[in-house]
Amino acid sequence: MGEKRERYQNRIELLQGTLDLLILQTLQWGPQHGYGISVAIRNRSGELLQVDTGSLYPALHRLEKQKWIKAEWRISDNKQRAKFYQLTAAGKKQLTRERSKWSQLSDAIAGVLQPEE
Amino acid sequence: MSLWRRKKREAELDEEVRSHLEMAARERRERGEKEEEAKRAARREFGNMGLVKEATRDVWGWRWLRDFVEDIRYGLRMLRKNPGFTGVVVLTLALGIGANTAIFSLISNVLLHPLPVRDADRLVVLKWSAHGGLGYHGYSDFGFCHIDQTETEQAGCSFSYPFFSQLRSQPKVFSSVTAFAGNVGIHLTGYGAPSKASGALVSGEYFQTLGVAAAVGRTIQPADDTTHSEPVAVLNYGYWQSAFGGDRAAVGRTIYLDGIPFTIVGVAEPNFTSLSPGNIQDMWIPLELYTRLKPVWSGGPDDPGNGWLTIVGRLQAGIRVTQAQTAVSLFFRNEILQGAKPLSKEGDDPRIILTRVQEGLVGSRWVYERPLYLLMVAVAIVLLIACSNVAGLMLARGATRQKEMAVRLALGAGRSRIVRQVLTESVLLSVVGGALGVLFAYWSLTALRSANWLGPVDDFAVNPDGRVLVFTVIVSLMTGILPGWAPAIRGTRVNLTPALKENAPTIPGVAPRHRWFSFGRTLVVTQVALSTLVLIGAGLLVRTLVNLKGIDPGFDANNLLLVGIDPTDKGYKDAQLRSLYRQLQSQLSLLRGVVSVTYSSDTLLSGSSWVRSLAPQGQDKDVEMKMNMLSVGPRFFDTMRIPVVVGRAFIPSDYDSTHKVTVINQAFARRYFEHQNPLGLYLDKSDAKDSGEEIIGIVADAKYDDLKKNIEPTAYVPLRGGRAHFELRTVMNPETLIPAVQSVVSELDSRLPRLEFRTEVAQIDLSLFREHLVARLSSFFGLLALILACVGLYGLLSYEVARRTREIGIRTALGAQQRHVLRMVVGQGLALAVLGAALGIAVAAGVTRYIHSFLYGVRPSDPATFAGVAMLLTLVSLAACYLPARRAMQVDPMVALRYE
Repeated sequence: MGEKRERYQNRIELLQGTLDLLILQTLQWGPQHGYGISVAIRNRSGELLQVDTGSLYPALHRLEKQKWIKAEWRISDNKQRAKFYQLTAAGKKQLTRERSKWSQLSDAIAGVLQPEE
Repeated sequence: MSLWRRKKREAELDEEVRSHLEMAARERRERGEKEEEAKRAARREFGNMGLVKEATRDVWGWRWLRDFVEDIRYGLRMLRKNPGFTGVVVLTLALGIGANTAIFSLISNVLLHPLPVRDADRLVVLKWSAHGGLGYHGYSDFGFCHIDQTETEQAGCSFSYPFFSQLRSQPKVFSSVTAFAGNVGIHLTGYGAPSKASGALVSGEYFQTLGVAAAVGRTIQPADDTTHSEPVAVLNYGYWQSAFGGDRAAVGRTIYLDGIPFTIVGVAEPNFTSLSPGNIQDMWIPLELYTRLKPVWSGGPDDPGNGWLTIVGRLQAGIRVTQAQTAVSLFFRNEILQGAKPLSKEGDDPRIILTRVQEGLVGSRWVYERPLYLLMVAVAIVLLIACSNVAGLMLARGATRQKEMAVRLALGAGRSRIVRQVLTESVLLSVVGGALGVLFAYWSLTALRSANWLGPVDDFAVNPDGRVLVFTVIVSLMTGILPGWAPAIRGTRVNLTPALKENAPTIPGVAPRHRWFSFGRTLVVTQVALSTLVLIGAGLLVRTLVNLKGIDPGFDANNLLLVGIDPTDKGYKDAQLRSLYRQLQSQLSLLRGVVSVTYSSDTLLSGSSWVRSLAPQGQDKDVEMKMNMLSVGPRFFDTMRIPVVVGRAFIPSDYDSTHKVTVINQAFARRYFEHQNPLGLYLDKSDAKDSGEEIIGIVADAKYDDLKKNIEPTAYVPLRGGRAHFELRTVMNPETLIPAVQSVVSELDSRLPRLEFRTEVAQIDLSLFREHLVARLSSFFGLLALILACVGLYGLLSYEVARRTREIGIRTALGAQQRHVLRMVVGQGLALAVLGAALGIAVAAGVTRYIHSFLYGVRPSDPATFAGVAMLLTLVSLAACYLPARRAMQVDPMVALRYE
């Protein structure tokens, strides 16, 4: 198996849960296309999080398959035809679940990391 | 997912990626980057476009289908690019698969064919068994069932008419019971030209018991089977098609069978050809008609001593076979022991065994069971050789494809993906091979049939059926996956760096090459060993056939025409019949090319026998004399060229005299008259009214009914009545006399039924049919195995010579002579062949004893056969080595060294 390929898969695994959360969260602000999502995540994370296209597109298609988001072809602000993704009702519920899971996780990690008093 | 939807999604993904790139580039341009640079940067930032798309497509979930279609496309392209390789592999597989399909279709039709009756599991056939046998004075079973007799136990499946009618009126364990009797040869008139047909006599409950319906009209009903019923007949569907052209108007017509008017009332359903495999009759007629058709073997309604009916019953619902068996046994014991004339003793434990019809009514199936399984083993080995041959070829090709594999691996292809693709290629090959194989099987069965190699097996209506197709598909897939697996795994185990180098095509990585070599050699050794095994088996079977054909029958079988004639149903009997035979004999002797003419009740080596047991004169009454009997006409021993040893042969006056005489063979004299001169003694003078036969002569031993049997005591008596077979000793090919004989007979009496012609040689060949079939087919498969193994050897050596071109060039440049090169290549090939042959011989020495029962006059470990096969293999493998060796000798050192 090629090494390059394995690297990609590792990253998908690493980001699996969180990338879904980030995408759903980004879409809560309104419909967006793939490029827009990656830019939004990069900007809002202060350039820290670079979403890999090899993870982003599979994730988008997977979320679409799970009916948490739906896609539609539209013309963007600068007259560009693009595939816009949009949160569904089920996706909104999923976002709430993911968020609480995330805050539990980060609380838990924070608890572990906190120096003992 | 439909292809169209997939295409659409594919296009959408492309556009999605494209729009991503354009937006990224636009943003960069807006930040002031140059057009070209912006585009390139966007691309770089995006990453490996192919992989992104691939990963996204994976999410869609039907990747395997897409891969599969792609693999097939790619595979077809690869196969088209290498027509030589493709051709050899497909042909090899087609031969292997075709041979298996052909033999399996024989097995499927002959051995596995389910009975075309309703609920066959509830149908049982009755078999009797008793220590000393039953005291039947007449017995025939028409080959419906095959029962192995033992020394102490005799068994059979024929019963008397009285027993059947008693059983029929006992409705305890069977819901219905039917009886039937075998082939009656019938003379058919009233529809086209007079012809011969065969019929089965069946009781009125036959079709009802079996649950067989009519395709047209109706079947025989119980009401048709009474003494007052109008004669009716039900046609076999196949016979209806061939003789009546499938004409529906045939039903209702009147035909004449042996001169009696019969109404055709129906045609049986098409898949019901016969209850007992291989015994196909043209029509069924009610049992009661035996009184009018008078077959010689039938017993009267009151004769409990003649067993001629096979009985089949359908078990009453809720009754188990064992329960029924106990009940019927009890009934049978009563009938046999308490009847007017007891047929057995209490101590002989007469009883009934019930067997399911499928196992019990084997017909002539048992004759072919073992030969067919033997042939199946042979073709399975051939297929194994073909498979390993293909594996070897693929391995060799895999080595030359290593660069391709390395490139694909380097570009990021998964290893399992490549394995799958290589496997798809080999399955593609095997599917094409399988399709060709089916054609090959079909063609070879047709050829076998038209060459009359199938003989009586053809009676089983050998046709490809669904089961055969399933078998072929499974075999094809297996032959695709099996040989493809090793090369696929091996081919992907590549060290990328050396494989990608410029000279990779000729010198692949050192380690894998070494591995494939030992693997390739193992394959070749295995192939040679397996083909040795098949060849030795075939050799033994061929020697058996030669031995059988070399058996001296004790009479001269060459130039002997056999003519069967039956004037009895035209009213000839006694003196009139004898005078007809005498007249025929003298007129046939006058024909040009005829040396002498005689006749007898049956011909020698016809397969049928007449056995008589007698208490001998002047000896202990308990010692029975068992003998084969044959009624013969004048000049029999003279015509058959059986020498008279002592005394005299029959003279014309013996035929009408009241003084009965007999001529015995030497085996008779040796067995029963060891210390006395048999001449003048009488056989069977037990009855005061019957003086018995006086022994007037002793003739040399001759085989009686079966060439393979030892010569038993035989007594010849003058033929006084019944049907006869004429034997004409000729000076030329006996068959050329047929028209002349025909016209002599019709001049004498034009009303006589059609004559049956056969030569003695053809009759012997027919009796050796099974041995012929097995010997011919197994030697064919042996040769096939040999050729395939040699192709394998040739392939391996060719590959090796190609691989070692440089080495050979260096050797030549350093002064090696051509003969050194020759010795190197041939020596290596021969070493493999000898190793394989030795292995094969070792295995054969262990397993040939399993075909012991097929052999005659040759031991399973026959050294001549083993040595012959070893020699043949050495010679042929030398030829296979020579071509690559010649190529090696022609290597020009300059070219070879510049090659790399």
